[in-house]
Amino acid sequence: MPHPVSDLSKVRQPIAQANGLPNAHYTDATVFAEERQAVLFDQWAGLGVGAEVPDIGDALPLTFLEMPLLMLRDKQGQVRVFQNICRHRGMILVDAPRKIEGAIRCPYHSWCYATDGRLVSTPHVGGPGQNTHEGIDRDLLGLIEVRSHIWMDVVYINISGTAPPFENAHADLMARWAEFDKPLFHGGADSRFTLEVNCNWKLAVENYCESYHLPWVHPALNTYSRLEDHYHIEAAGRFSGQGTWVYRQLKDEDGTVFPDFEGLDAKWDTAAEYITVYPNVLLGVHRDHTFAIVLVPHGPDRTVEHIHLYYAAEKTPDALRQRNTEQWKEVFAEDVFVVEGMQRGRHAAGFDGGRFSPVMDGPTHMFHDWVASRLEQHRSAGAADDPAHAAE
Amino acid sequence: MSSIDAALLAAHAAGDGTAMMRLYAKAAEAAKTSDAAAFYLTHAYVFALEAGHADAPALHQRLIDAGREHPAAPPRPPKR
Repeated sequence: MPHPVSDLSKVRQPIAQANGLPNAHYTDATVFAEERQAVLFDQWAGLGVGAEVPDIGDALPLTFLEMPLLMLRDKQGQVRVFQNICRHRGMILVDAPRKIEGAIRCPYHSWCYATDGRLVSTPHVGGPGQNTHEGIDRDLLGLIEVRSHIWMDVVYINISGTAPPFENAHADLMARWAEFDKPLFHGGADSRFTLEVNCNWKLAVENYCESYHLPWVHPALNTYSRLEDHYHIEAAGRFSGQGTWVYRQLKDEDGTVFPDFEGLDAKWDTAAEYITVYPNVLLGVHRDHTFAIVLVPHGPDRTVEHIHLYYAAEKTPDALRQRNTEQWKEVFAEDVFVVEGMQRGRHAAGFDGGRFSPVMDGPTHMFHDWVASRLEQHRSAGAADDPAHAAE
Repeated sequence: MSSIDAALLAAHAAGDGTAMMRLYAKAAEAAKTSDAAAFYLTHAYVFALEAGHADAPALHQRLIDAGREHPAAPPRPPKR
C-alpha cells in the first residue's frame, strides 16, 4: 500500500478534536501539485472577473497554476476561457491584453481562430497557397475551451470538466444571495487592486472565513461591529464564512451614500455577509456594494489577491467610491501580517496543524474539512486507477 | 527589392494589418501563376481576418472558389 502524501485523518475529526491541515499542505511542492488537481482543477475555481474584459473582443492572457489561459469576450458578448495556445505547435497566442478586432492569429504560422474558438484559417497547410488538407480537420482543432460559469461577475472555471454544473454545485448559495444576482457595476480603475502575499492561498481563505480575529486584527472595525454582532455561515462541502448584523454605510460629509441594490429584504439594512466560495473566491455583499477577491496561487507560499468592488449603479460619487476602496484596502492589508505569519509558522517541524476554537472557528474548520475530503477522494480515485495498487 | 516588397516590409514592421492586406492583394493581382496568386491572396485574407476588415469575406470567397479554402463552420456556443 503506498504511503499517503500527508495524513488527513485528524483534519476530518469533529471540530473539538480536529487538527488543521498538516504543514506540507502549505510548504510542499508535491502536495501543492496534488491540491492543484484535486482542490482547484477538479472544482469551480475563480479565475478573474468579467469586468476585466468589458468590451467585445477584449482578450486577457492569464496564467493559472502555470496553465496559460485566455479570457475573452466573444463577438456575441459572452465571456469565455480558452487555453492560450495554438493547436498547431502549442505556441502562446496572445501575450498581452488587447482587443481582438477580427480573429486571433497565431504569431508563428498564422493559424487563425474566431473569438468563439473555431479554427478559421490554416494558411499554406497543404503547401504554398493551399490552405486546406484532408488531414487537418478544423472542426477538431478549435481552441481548447475551458468550462466556465459567470456568477456575480466572477469567472469560474472547471479545468477538468468533471465538476457538477455550477448552478447545481452552488444552488444554495445562489438562492441565499438571489437578491444580489442582478446587474453589478464595477467601480472602474479605482475599484480594483491586488495584494501580493507570501503565503499559501488557503491561509487567506482560512482567515477570511472567521470573525474570531476581527477585534484583534481590525480594531477600527470593532468600534462599531463587535465580535458578538457576527454569525457563522456554514454550508458543509460548499461554502463558509461570516455575517454581521451591524453594517454601517459609508457616508460623505454631506450625508451622501451609495445607492442601494433594489428590492433587498429589510435584513440587509444593517446586515452584510462574507463568504468563501470554495475553493478560492472570497465574496462580500452589502446593501450598497459587493466585492470579489479571486485568490490566484503562485506556488505553495505565494498568492496574488485580485480585488474588485461593485455597485448598484453605473455612476457613483468618485470621492466616496475611492474612500470605500481605501477603506477595504486598509482592512485587507491588516490581514497580511497574519497570513504571512501563519505561513512562516508552517515551517515549524512537528506543528500538528493547530487546534480550532470549537465555538469560533467553525467556518475555517469547515474549509479544512472540505480540502481534506477533496484530497481523499482524489487519492482514492488515484489508487483505484493504479493497477499495481488494485492488485494488492 | 521591388517597391511592393519594400512597402510590405514596412507594413510588417509597423504591424499595419490593413496595409498588409492591401499590399498582398495587390501582389496577388500582379502574380504570374495561380499558385503565386493564391499565396499572396492567402496572406491578404489572413491579415483581413485578423483585422476584422470588411474585405475578409470576399477574399475568403475568392480562395474558396479557387479550391484553396473551406467555408467557415457555424459559431460555437460557450462551454458552460
